[in-house]
Amino acid sequence: MGQDDSTDKARWMRDLLDRFEVPLVRYTLKITGDLDRARDVVQEAFLRLCREPRERVEPRLPAWLFTVARNRALDVMKKEKRMKTIGDPGAVTSREPAPARRSEERESARMVLAALGSLPEAQREVIRLKFQNGLSYREIGEVTGHSVSNVGYLIHTAIQSLRRKVKHVS
Amino acid sequence: MSSIADDPRLTAYALGELPEAERAEVEALLRDDPAARAALEETASLAGLLKEELRAEPGPRLSPDQRAAVVQRFEDERRIVPFYRRRAALWTAGGALAASLLGYLTFGTELTERRRPEALARLGSQSKMRDAGAPYRRVEPLTGAPRSEDFKSAPPPAAPSRPEESNAAPAPILGLPALKRKSEARGALKPDVRFSTSLPPAEDQVQLGLRGKLKESIELSRSSSPRSREPAVKPELRRFNPSPQDPSVDVPTLPERRQEALVHNPFRSAIDDPLSTFSIDVDTASYANVRRFLTHNTRPPLEQVRIEEMINYFSYDYAPPVEADRPFSSELEVTQCPWNIKNRLVRIGLKGRVVPEDQRPTTNLVFLLDVSGSMNSANKLPLVKEGLRQLVERLGENDRVAIVVYAGASGLVLPSTSCQEKSTILGALDRLSAGGSTNGGAGIQLAYQTAVANFIEGGVNRVVLATDGDFNVGLRRRSDLESLIQDRAKSGVFLTVLGFGRNGYNDGIMETLADKGNGNYAFIDNRAEAKKVLVDQLSGTLITIAKDVKIQVEFNPAKVASYRLIGYENRVMAAADFNDDRKDAGEIGAGHTVTALYEVVLRDPNAPLQTEDPRVDELKYQERKKLSQSPEMLTLKLRYKQPDGDTSSLLAFPLVDQQRSYNDATTDFKFAASVALFGMILRNSPHKGDGNLELVDELAQDGLGADAKGYRKEFRQLVQAAHRFVR
Repeated sequence: MGQDDSTDKARWMRDLLDRFEVPLVRYTLKITGDLDRARDVVQEAFLRLCREPRERVEPRLPAWLFTVARNRALDVMKKEKRMKTIGDPGAVTSREPAPARRSEERESARMVLAALGSLPEAQREVIRLKFQNGLSYREIGEVTGHSVSNVGYLIHTAIQSLRRKVKHVS
Repeated sequence: MSSIADDPRLTAYALGELPEAERAEVEALLRDDPAARAALEETASLAGLLKEELRAEPGPRLSPDQRAAVVQRFEDERRIVPFYRRRAALWTAGGALAASLLGYLTFGTELTERRRPEALARLGSQSKMRDAGAPYRRVEPLTGAPRSEDFKSAPPPAAPSRPEESNAAPAPILGLPALKRKSEARGALKPDVRFSTSLPPAEDQVQLGLRGKLKESIELSRSSSPRSREPAVKPELRRFNPSPQDPSVDVPTLPERRQEALVHNPFRSAIDDPLSTFSIDVDTASYANVRRFLTHNTRPPLEQVRIEEMINYFSYDYAPPVEADRPFSSELEVTQCPWNIKNRLVRIGLKGRVVPEDQRPTTNLVFLLDVSGSMNSANKLPLVKEGLRQLVERLGENDRVAIVVYAGASGLVLPSTSCQEKSTILGALDRLSAGGSTNGGAGIQLAYQTAVANFIEGGVNRVVLATDGDFNVGLRRRSDLESLIQDRAKSGVFLTVLGFGRNGYNDGIMETLADKGNGNYAFIDNRAEAKKVLVDQLSGTLITIAKDVKIQVEFNPAKVASYRLIGYENRVMAAADFNDDRKDAGEIGAGHTVTALYEVVLRDPNAPLQTEDPRVDELKYQERKKLSQSPEMLTLKLRYKQPDGDTSSLLAFPLVDQQRSYNDATTDFKFAASVALFGMILRNSPHKGDGNLELVDELAQDGLGADAKGYRKEFRQLVQAAHRFVR
């Protein structure tokens, strides 16, 4: 009934916050380059979430959140006239090897992630959306505005480059 | 013919993104194309690697302020209930009866499933309802809190002893605020006496429904009542035993009224409910949590403010037990209630036996550490390591330490090692780093196994869990985790839960684990706190001197009209549970102090006792209750077990109120009162009377005492910080 709905909604939103807070900040940071701005954008995205009726948003998650964050981040950057491409230092691994990992696996992991940083921005973005944030081609298309086939092409090209880099090393 | 090795379709296929229709073709092409097959494999493995590495990439969070603001907005949004407006429209359209019936049926159905026999049985005697067979009772839906203004300073108006008349329990179900209004309109407001905190409001619903009062209530709903403060209720009546992790009780109300959404122990009538039973609690996490919010100029979420934990954070000068065989001492004190000067405030103080460091029993510890990626920030894993390092430094050479981690995999990083090899232990600690995702369940099993394998008879055997609460335990439900811990606790290994980092994230889970695990829960937000918990109070943290400690207070109705237990909402128990040794309760550590406060409304000696109210018929099937001539105000009873025992011992202490004034109260009492009032204000308690932050500060000042470590002074600073968001 009604009040159960509203309680469930609050819980649902909390759950989304728990699940997507870090991925969103991480993703947005790559666009803004600035942590404070990224946080502001993500906060706004969640606040906007509140205002939407659950049934409308739920089927479009998580893409909805990423889309809102992305658009807002780009707006912010535009307003501040800082549309230059932000360098991506590649992903950072922070953990010690789990005991079972072979050292050459670790090595190629590091290579790949560093190589990620050298990809063009559009490819980097879709790679992250796909592998870091688990979005589908279709969702990535929604978020970025690319067509689905374009998304496929970007990911394919990126993977080819990364594969070549890894092969090159080992 | 070019190979599809370079075709985006192959990549899509590898990632599961190729539409159904095209798959057959790609598969056919693959059959004859080894280069393509190789490419496919590489792509798939690269995809796996990317996924794993990228997901483990540490990511920054929102700032605590921002997060809190978002969460606050969620809470606010929740209160704007279109449903209510729809309901209101229905009423004004004259469809009230239908709406009420609908609501009644909804909740009535709930009751059919679970509690109807009890609801009916309730018509008989009040005391039964609290003992409604529930086990160690946690937070229960409150039937309605804010009635205290009616008897702040006067005994409750004489009221009929029959439950049906007494509808004080405003069944504040959103669908039927009517019922609440009805009781208000009558003005026959009583303390929520007949309805313990454990009664779901729906039962009152049933009562009224059975007596066909719906129509009346609907009429009254149209009248606007001045005192229509929607009390707190848990609208999710489908769960009669709300999960303890979420003590916040949701209340959908009109948007313009920000209502408290919590359970606040109500006032109870001494003659109807003379027994107050609860489990003691030595957790301190809530205070550290609240401190963290306030230090960041953010209002703490109401449900994370637990008054008893705030009070118990501080150490008080209670005299330790003298008798050798007593694990703790207890004292009682009464003074004026500062926020309601006509009332009295009773303080119960327990002090655990002090165990000097060099007399600490041999200790077998297993550190169970969350090393998932989320633990990476400066206030988490590094702080864990620092704190545990300090703890290990304090251990003796007969003690043992093992380290189990849980993250991507669980592992025994250090088998149980004697403290004769401290450098080995410290080295293992040093090498820990964060990464991977969590699987707490497997880690817990391993930790307990290790502890049991190195069990020291008569010694201290404990798992020390350090986490930021973000543990995906790999068990389907939280209740599975709780059962696991509870089961493990039977092995005689106790648990200490140390929370780090996030402001009270999964605070409820951690508190529950500590409870189920016969342990304690502290939140460590900085180095000073780490030192306090793991060094200064090491004995208290590690050594349990009494377990399953329960308190039952019997109030004398000849002296007391009503009483209210301040805090301990999560710890309230049924009266029958007091003597039931199977019921789990809290543990006291060496040197710990435990404080509980009651606000007491004195009975006007000239007012007639309810059973003597001449307006009420003498009962046909019962004799009038005879009251005792005793001058005592109450008797405090305590039950406790030895740490390795199974049967409880009983202690009892009477208290006579000497009518001391506030000035004669001990410094510690004044300070405890200050903290209690602060907690009540932070929780928007309806019972705060004339209390405000100025009074909190005044009391804190009076209660400052020696304050060797400066904690009380720090408290005063927090009070100052709270001015920003509390009137």
